[in-house]
Amino acid sequence: MRKIKLYTIIYVVLFVFATVQVLVEFAGFDYWTGLVAILALSAVKAVLVAGYYQHLVHEPRSLTALMVGSLFVALVLTTAAAFSIM
Amino acid sequence: MTEDAHAENGHDGLPPQTAVKRWLVTTNHKDVGILYIVTSLFFLVFGGVLALLMRVELWTATQTVIAPGAYNETVSAHGLIMIFFFISPFAFGFANYVVPLQIGAEDLSFPRLNALSYWLYLFSGLLFGTSFFLGGTFSGGWTMYAPLNMPAYTPTVGGTTAVLALMLFVASVTVSSVNFLTTMHRQRAEGLTTLKLPLFSWTILLTVWMMLFAFAALLAALLILASDRIVGTVYFQATEGGSLLWAHLFWFFGHPEVYIVFFPALGIMAECFQTFCGRRIVGRKWFIAAMVLVAIQSFFVWMHHMFLTAISLEIKTLFMATTIGISLPFDLMVFALIYTMVKGKIRYTTPFLFSFGALVLFIIGGITGVFLGAVVLDYEFRGTYWVVAHFHYVMVGGATALFGGLYYWYPKITGRMYDEFLGKVHFVLYFVGFNLLYFPMFVAWETPRRVFEYHQSFVAWHQLASIGGFVLAAGFLVMFYNLYKSLFAGEEVDGNPWEYASSAEWSVSSPPPFENFPGLPSYGDGRLRFLTPGRGGEVADGGTATGDDALDAAADPATESDRPQSDGGTVTAEAARPEIARDETADTALPDAEAEEEHPDHASYWPLAIGLSAYVTFLGLSGIRMDTAMYPALTGVGLVMGAFSFVGLGRESFHVPEMAVAERWPFEGVENGKLGMWIFLASDVVLFGSLIGSYVFIRVAYGWTAWHVVPHDPIPGLINTYLLLTSSFTVVLALVAAKRESTRGLVASLGATVAFGVGFLYNKGIEWQELFHEGTTVGSSVEASTFFLTTGLHAAHVIIGLLIALFMIAQALKGAYLGEEGSRKVEYFGLYWHFVDIVWLFLFPLFYIL
Repeated sequence: MRKIKLYTIIYVVLFVFATVQVLVEFAGFDYWTGLVAILALSAVKAVLVAGYYQHLVHEPRSLTALMVGSLFVALVLTTAAAFSIM
Repeated sequence: MTEDAHAENGHDGLPPQTAVKRWLVTTNHKDVGILYIVTSLFFLVFGGVLALLMRVELWTATQTVIAPGAYNETVSAHGLIMIFFFISPFAFGFANYVVPLQIGAEDLSFPRLNALSYWLYLFSGLLFGTSFFLGGTFSGGWTMYAPLNMPAYTPTVGGTTAVLALMLFVASVTVSSVNFLTTMHRQRAEGLTTLKLPLFSWTILLTVWMMLFAFAALLAALLILASDRIVGTVYFQATEGGSLLWAHLFWFFGHPEVYIVFFPALGIMAECFQTFCGRRIVGRKWFIAAMVLVAIQSFFVWMHHMFLTAISLEIKTLFMATTIGISLPFDLMVFALIYTMVKGKIRYTTPFLFSFGALVLFIIGGITGVFLGAVVLDYEFRGTYWVVAHFHYVMVGGATALFGGLYYWYPKITGRMYDEFLGKVHFVLYFVGFNLLYFPMFVAWETPRRVFEYHQSFVAWHQLASIGGFVLAAGFLVMFYNLYKSLFAGEEVDGNPWEYASSAEWSVSSPPPFENFPGLPSYGDGRLRFLTPGRGGEVADGGTATGDDALDAAADPATESDRPQSDGGTVTAEAARPEIARDETADTALPDAEAEEEHPDHASYWPLAIGLSAYVTFLGLSGIRMDTAMYPALTGVGLVMGAFSFVGLGRESFHVPEMAVAERWPFEGVENGKLGMWIFLASDVVLFGSLIGSYVFIRVAYGWTAWHVVPHDPIPGLINTYLLLTSSFTVVLALVAAKRESTRGLVASLGATVAFGVGFLYNKGIEWQELFHEGTTVGSSVEASTFFLTTGLHAAHVIIGLLIALFMIAQALKGAYLGEEGSRKVEYFGLYWHFVDIVWLFLFPLFYIL
């Protein structure tokens, strides 16, 4: 039952963060401030889902390293390609 | 399989090797390896004939034999066939056969997926071959540069078929990568730590890691290209960096691909140098470290293929430095191989000659490549025959070692020795033909690539090259004759025909028994031993696997510390404990009465059926925009066949054993199925990352803030976020219910997941329909294309998830998936579903808000 309670709390947090993302859009922040805030909220949500719903917090760290590594590969492609035309 | 069928077949549930049926249903790694080798040799001949056609055309400086368009097709198809359908699959034939033997595994972790990889490979190659008959195959070069890859320039149905064939090939590679990584990290014999892996296995391990990430980027590129050609998106024809985007995606795959092709060859060179010099490779640990470094660096050099494009000078300079940097570890490996020869005593057998030849050719290819890594020189050489000569010295240089591998493992695979004299004749023809073919290209380097007309002053050099091409081809006639003749008339060999071979495949009979080993392999006190648990933990000597005995008689320069070893760990009392051994007996089908009763089945038709379905589906898709009902009908038939086959695969009872005692670093405590799913998801991260990266790249080129977000309102996207988050929550509840053995809870939770998923798709459908009514279509702007394709691919993931969930509900209603063990499949499905959720968490802000 404790597990279900934890999962429910996380679900509520995810729900609220999704709503906040849209509110940030309408809050009238500077564009780049809003962008950073919205993407940061997405990142936090992703970490919560991966950590608790996919149980990465309870798995060996090597699995986390695997996923972080693949994300790093995608980021290298994205940032270097974008930088090449700036 | 029924008892009768077992009686009819062997105890492994497979027909004998002489029966055609055997090769259609087998999932055994050795069978699959042979299938890979034979099929890849067929594609070698296919691509080789195309090469000879080119050399005939290039005999004179003007167009003569092949029509201009056909020449373009020939050049493109030759490159694509050799790189995708020959070299890597050839190497993976050996990997399939040898790696499980070298690491002490009975088979790969997922035997049916291994068979599926093969069938997807075969049908992708057949699909590519079919493309010739659909108005002509792709003719824009093997690099498929944009905008040449657009229908405006390559308009044939066959061109699209070729693109889809490559997508199918990538699917095969991805399945294979997941399988090999799971196997090599989870099924190594006790004591065989990662560092102690034989060098061929090391190179395969690094190769599959590179494949996992590099091919995901290629898949993204091909998905976008297929979408541009079939659906009508406008990524690569976008003026906002469309052609540069292709180059980035393609070369992000393309440069690691060079090492993906070369590393297995390097592994064979290392094995052959050790075996035929009679000593362990010099600086083994440094050799391994250099390979690891190259594998990592390979993802940081891709822009040296783009020095002639409009990318900034700063990034060109940076990538020039990284390119020079990647040559340094290779220097170390080359010197290690040379010094191994110096310190050992060489036996000039055919495998060694090919391995040595590969080293020489690679050195020439490597040095000439450094020129291309320098920005200023590349301005001059790019697009000329210098590049053609250089990469053939590297790529075909690598293939040279693979042919050495074919001779090296031929006695192991067939149980008979090849004809040594004919082998050497092959080598001489090969080496002379190779250099006669490719070296003149360095001299006539100003000849433009991919063009059938060139300056008259180069005629003699090109004629020399054409003669070389035919000499090279003649060598292969000798090889095929030798291999065929030896199959029946070759001298029979025992387990190890090579005096100083030291890896584990040589410790068993030739060919090896079905289960590979006579007991549970274990490395203790530096030797390979087989624990025979059914007889109370008795230990059998693994024979020659350490090579120590043999090396007592080895070359005098070899000291004790230099000898080849299979570097075992420590044999512990635990390893030989009878109770652990008995567990292993039940799980690994060791020759034990209990295991005999279980009849582990190694036969399945479903991998073949899925491969055939994919062929039919992709063939239909390639012409679906044509004004004929045939292509949509083919697509429909293929999809129905695919659905039927996947359900068949899912329902089939198939025993996949996990080794009870094994080295599993760094994934101890993660069972095979779960690790396989995580590795697949890692590749999916790169796939979606590449698509999102493409969006970011085009938006940067367009002007980030000038970009128009396609949906007018973020609220439908927010509602979909709520729906997916809720569906993730219900999947978690499904797992809890499964662990509590509540069928009702499990079915209800999965049912809710399906309902929320359908709601997500319905909401998306409404949103898309509104956009279409407003005149916003997939091809109306690059903003619309990125929106529809990226969110569409995500929706496709949702649909696949829903189909799996529906299948699981049907199974759950019959009482499946309950308890700790049974709930694992629910957990694996959850991993996938949550990943789809996570992707949406980024798509929502990027495509609806920002």
